[in-house]
Amino acid sequence: MKLQGKVALVTGGAQGIGRAIALGFGREGAKVVVADLQVDKAKSVVQELQALGAEGWAVEVNVAAESSVKRLANETLGRFGRADILVNDAGVYLKSLVVNMSEETWDRTININLGGNFLCSRAVIPAMRKQKSGRIISIASGIAHYGAKEFAPYAASKAAIIGFVKALAREVGSDGITVNAICPGAANTAMPRTHRSEEELMARLRSNPLGHVLEPEDFVGPVLFLASDAASYITGQAINVNCGSYMM
Amino acid sequence: MSQVALITGGGGGIGGAAAHRMAAAGITVVVADYDHGAAERVREEIATAGGKAEALSVDVTQAREVKALVTDVGKRFGCIDVLANIAGGSFYTKRIEEFTWAEWQEVIDVNLKGTFLMCREVAPLMQRQKSGRIINTASNYGVTGSALRTPYSAAKAGIIAFTKTLAQELAPDGILVNTVAPGPTDTPRVMGKESPEARKQRWAEIPLGRTGKPEDLAEAFYFLTTPESAWITGQTLHVNGGLL
Repeated sequence: MKLQGKVALVTGGAQGIGRAIALGFGREGAKVVVADLQVDKAKSVVQELQALGAEGWAVEVNVAAESSVKRLANETLGRFGRADILVNDAGVYLKSLVVNMSEETWDRTININLGGNFLCSRAVIPAMRKQKSGRIISIASGIAHYGAKEFAPYAASKAAIIGFVKALAREVGSDGITVNAICPGAANTAMPRTHRSEEELMARLRSNPLGHVLEPEDFVGPVLFLASDAASYITGQAINVNCGSYMM
Repeated sequence: MSQVALITGGGGGIGGAAAHRMAAAGITVVVADYDHGAAERVREEIATAGGKAEALSVDVTQAREVKALVTDVGKRFGCIDVLANIAGGSFYTKRIEEFTWAEWQEVIDVNLKGTFLMCREVAPLMQRQKSGRIINTASNYGVTGSALRTPYSAAKAGIIAFTKTLAQELAPDGILVNTVAPGPTDTPRVMGKESPEARKQRWAEIPLGRTGKPEDLAEAFYFLTTPESAWITGQTLHVNGGLL
């Protein structure tokens, strides 16, 4: 097992890609803090972890609220005494043309998607510094590079996450902490379903060079790699897991 | 049946480490190198460690040798699951007006043409298998450029674009093509040329505070052969301690 004894926090861990990552970490022996605004769903992920024989813990968090994130970090450190891995996955995907967009939609997306990365990373870095090791993995998006009509704040927040990851990697590298991003291609999750018909979505998901419909589980391997010792010399990178839908 | 990996430059620092890593995972490794003695040493080390390996010679710039190598490997093993094109080098550090045409061609050929020739020969085999992983080797210099290394930087940038193109061409056959881009790495070839002071200064520029070890690179090459990376193609994986 690649992550035996490690303590991992996964924000947005209650569903979709975050849930798949939480379960993947559990299978590799990590103790997983499933942090999500939807604590009931987080609790059911913890039950799934326990069914795998892994240790999990559900914590309610609003990643855009400083006090809530502080509590998440304090409670995690209080319970487990360390924080080895942080996965920043919590995010929202709100649809609007820029000309019609309310300031509220803009702020909410940027505060949760980008601000959450800042607050959660800031909260765990002191513990990682003490340990002289740590892994921060942010879930960005292919939309950071490609853009997406009607999702300007989402695209901006995800591109900004990549900039944030590169800057943070330079700040904390000397403490043995790596910071990287994964850029998933469009995947078969609940998120795009709020805005597309089933038929439209599946056609879109299949239209990549490998002709494969990406599932949440498909991102677990690359995240596990970045979280493992094998990737100890990789930092500041944004890795595209997108079936070749674009290449950088 | 064990997977088969063909690794060019397998006798060198990064290539040798990649060969060891794949062999440790149970992959049968064909260590191909211009320097047969170096390939033979790696083969022996792998065998001693309990892995399976063969050593073969190849000059990747010679189409005929490349064809003979791939035919030979195909006959011996019946398949090639992984091709890692690691043979390469920068050889010269000099201003562009001092580069002769022959020197320019030498650097372009061993890096870029060698990658093309190997891929051209191995791709049909993988297409018949309907599966395969090709991993090419670029460099951070292929993105940033590097003063006094014009042909090397051009060749490595060329490899990145070549990889993306080949990834698109081979995707319908289930073949993944990616590039690993090493930053400064402690290979015998590099370390032999660098003073301890120069090394220290280099370390200060790298966020993780050290140069890469061949083993760090080997993990990235190995990752790109595994089921965990099944949906990554046409990408460049930078392994450089945060330098870029």
